[in-house]
Amino acid sequence: MELNKEMTAQESLTLIAETINNSRKDVIRRSGRYYIIWGALLTFFSLLIYLLWKTSGNAAWNNLWFAMPLIGFPLSRMLKAKDGAGQEKNIVTSTVGGIWTSFCVFACSVAVFCLVYGLLTNNAIGNIVVGASLTAMIVLLFGLAETVTGVALKNWVIKIAGFVTGIGGIIVYYVTGTNKEQMLIFTFAGIVLMATGLIVKRQN
Amino acid sequence: MFPKLDPLLHSELRLAVMSILADIQSADFTFLKKQTGATAGNLSVQLDKLASAGYITIEKGFKGKMPCTTCTITPPGMEAFQGYVEALKDYLPL
Repeated sequence: MELNKEMTAQESLTLIAETINNSRKDVIRRSGRYYIIWGALLTFFSLLIYLLWKTSGNAAWNNLWFAMPLIGFPLSRMLKAKDGAGQEKNIVTSTVGGIWTSFCVFACSVAVFCLVYGLLTNNAIGNIVVGASLTAMIVLLFGLAETVTGVALKNWVIKIAGFVTGIGGIIVYYVTGTNKEQMLIFTFAGIVLMATGLIVKRQN
Repeated sequence: MFPKLDPLLHSELRLAVMSILADIQSADFTFLKKQTGATAGNLSVQLDKLASAGYITIEKGFKGKMPCTTCTITPPGMEAFQGYVEALKDYLPL
């Protein structure tokens, strides 16, 4: 693209379509790695909390969830800075980014409320987590966010994964009861998120 | 009678740049260079032409310690791009 040549109308339209398409794919593909990072963190933390809860019998290990954003956000920032370019956003990445930011705000707000309420009423965090069905709420929100992401990316696999995680998570939660096994629902959700990242990177 | 095509946009590299910016609003120089496959010198000249016409703004800054040039499409630039696409349709037997 060096000669700045004159083009026919057809060539112009083709150039516009191809340029937009290529740039759009590139921007979406780059967003894929953020799903992989957050999916890996979710898998790691859920397994860690599950193991600690199982060995100690103490549900207070759930407080470790608050460490996840403390690691995740700086890590995402570092990746963005390392990339140099990469601030580009199009309508798809903005929409999907908005969906997951909303999920994060909802999930963190509910979790913080449970923690503060637990401290004020002298309840162990585990009782609050159980009493408020926090896992069920968050996994449902997660499933919804994942499904809407599938709609935005026009990908059936992601849509179905969202339904399976959200609805399946609720079912597993009520079947397994309110014990530590509920953490494995988040392990599954983390794997789904990593798979979403790989699909996003591959399909674009 | 066919409408006149904007001569500033009816050029391969400038049109490619405007197409990208019409979609993502703003992008840095490195991204535009990669997407268009143009040389830094040529891209720089064409960006200056678009900026002189008021179609884009160019901001020079730093990302960490690295210099960074960010190009953003302006409302007149978006209007010109949309007008150009509309005008193109008259040239084609759609």
